[in-house]
Amino acid sequence: MAERAQPQKAQDKLAFLLSLVPYLMDHDRVSVAETAAHFGVPEEQIRDAVRLISVSGIPGETASYQHGDLFDISWDDFEFNDEIVLTNLVAIDDSPRFSAREAAALIAGLQYLSALPEHADRAAIASLQSKLSRGASAVPSQVAVEASETDDTLRLIREAVEHGVQLKFDYLNSRGEHENRHVDPLRVESVDADWYLRGWCHLREAVRTFRLDRISDPIVTDEPITHGATDVTLPDTLFEGSADDLLVTIDVAAGAEALLADYVPDGATSTIVDGRVRTTVRVSHYHGLKRLIASMPGVATVVAPPEARAVVAEWAAAGADRYR
Amino acid sequence: MPPASSAARIPVEERLFSLVLALLATDTGLTKNEILSTVQGYRQKFAHSGDNSNLERQFERDKDDIRDLGVPLETLESPGQAGNNQNLRYRIPRGEYELPADITFSPEETTLLNLAAMVWREGSLSGESRRAIIKLRSLGVVTTEPVLGYAPRVRVRDAAFEPLSSALEKHVIVQFSYLKPGEGAPRLRTVAPLALVQHQGRWHLYAQEPESGTTKTFLLRRIVSPVTITAKAFPPPAADQSERALAELEEVWRSHTATVQVEPGSDAATRLGKRRGTVAAASGDLELHYSDANILADELAGFGPEVLVISPPELRDAVRDRLMRTAADHG
Repeated sequence: MAERAQPQKAQDKLAFLLSLVPYLMDHDRVSVAETAAHFGVPEEQIRDAVRLISVSGIPGETASYQHGDLFDISWDDFEFNDEIVLTNLVAIDDSPRFSAREAAALIAGLQYLSALPEHADRAAIASLQSKLSRGASAVPSQVAVEASETDDTLRLIREAVEHGVQLKFDYLNSRGEHENRHVDPLRVESVDADWYLRGWCHLREAVRTFRLDRISDPIVTDEPITHGATDVTLPDTLFEGSADDLLVTIDVAAGAEALLADYVPDGATSTIVDGRVRTTVRVSHYHGLKRLIASMPGVATVVAPPEARAVVAEWAAAGADRYR
Repeated sequence: MPPASSAARIPVEERLFSLVLALLATDTGLTKNEILSTVQGYRQKFAHSGDNSNLERQFERDKDDIRDLGVPLETLESPGQAGNNQNLRYRIPRGEYELPADITFSPEETTLLNLAAMVWREGSLSGESRRAIIKLRSLGVVTTEPVLGYAPRVRVRDAAFEPLSSALEKHVIVQFSYLKPGEGAPRLRTVAPLALVQHQGRWHLYAQEPESGTTKTFLLRRIVSPVTITAKAFPPPAADQSERALAELEEVWRSHTATVQVEPGSDAATRLGKRRGTVAAASGDLELHYSDANILADELAGFGPEVLVISPPELRDAVRDRLMRTAADHG
């Protein structure tokens, strides 16, 4: 479940250089491998950075970057032993502060964690927040997350992950059927107000995504998991495709496409038709589709196939009939 | 060799790194001319007699990029030369650049911060967190436990988040088109951003209208145009803006209640029954809290015949109209 490596921007590379130098200063001699492991980056990235640092410095008195105005390393150690030893230091003494937005992002993340049972140590979190504020170069931006209530299902999922065992629960699928599921839990994600469990489903023998609010009677079993986080690649989209999926053509208001992003298959194209975006979504059956479309009235309309349009029309009309 | 081609070999990060080193090393500051003519990455492109306006623009962008990282790049006026832009001096004061020595993080705290950074699944907060963690690792603290594969991940979908959080940091006025719930057409808004808060899973902008001085809350989801960041600054507000915003939203949420009838055993019964604050009456009807009637109406319409709204009447009408609209659009 390795994260995809993102191409680094020059700004990120600068932040990395400014962070790497103080780390190397604190370690008289450290291997490239250890440094790479510590920062969680490929070894070659460390070597590139060290090469750049070793030719960098300040213009100096002569304004011409004389030898003593540059960082220097022990080249023998670097080239033959893959070790880093700084032999001349310039300008930098210590680690940089966090930016206001960096501190704010971590603080908002801490606020999220504080809602979870295992991180309920509010005093520790408050002390960390104040350290981050003081360690930022400006007052952290005002970004905050509401303290949500502790969800018991989340606690049980965490427990199952910790013990490497399967979670068993009753799941109400979007067709309205109750099913007993055994799942190897892999990750919990939330989108807006909705929480999802992503895991290996033993009933479907595939990765599946479950809404937490459709899970009832969760039980931590003593059956070990068969698929762990390192064995399975979770797709970036929330919902997994299968060969039996139905493709549906939809018109959606410009600007609202993002709301359907999880349902749009890879490589789908979109065109503009009458000022709306026409695209394709993938659904496992029309029961999920009718709920999705009815929750976006006026925003999304099914164009084809006709059976899908009929299912949506019937669902909405049955709802409207209740108000007669 | 012409200057342009030799300069092309200097990567951007080397130029930025050299600029930070040069400005950290100076106490009195360097003038723009000194920087452009001597600092690695600029000096190769510098024309000693000629037009350096491209290079000057590059320097302006670089300053912004460096400040974005939280590096306090200062501008000083040269003594006796106030108002002369060519003689402005630039430097990075060490005390404001370096993490104060008394701020340390224990291995346990470092583990917790690593988890906090993993919360943000994508978007602006995820990039900012990643950078913060790189700086944290600079301190060399070795964590006691490996970062667990388990952390809840949060997706921030709203495109407005990134520009608004940038405007929030710079204390500048922003403009955007906002489709107010219940209104048919968007209107252009000009506001001073005060806080970004997540309430009931949705991101809100808490902002002040400069003319009236009144504060308003905007749903990021309903910002329908790109956000324009103006150059007009406003004085930094008091530090409790996000608490105030959350308190106001909570009050609105608490004071709005709807009563709905749900089909027993249905998806609506299961999911609405588990919402925060939902109370089931003896009759089986559910009493829900909500912040925005239009958002709740969309959500309830999705349940089709599984839900019948009893009250309030506006919500009942809104859900019925939505269902009729969807039925008509697909007829």
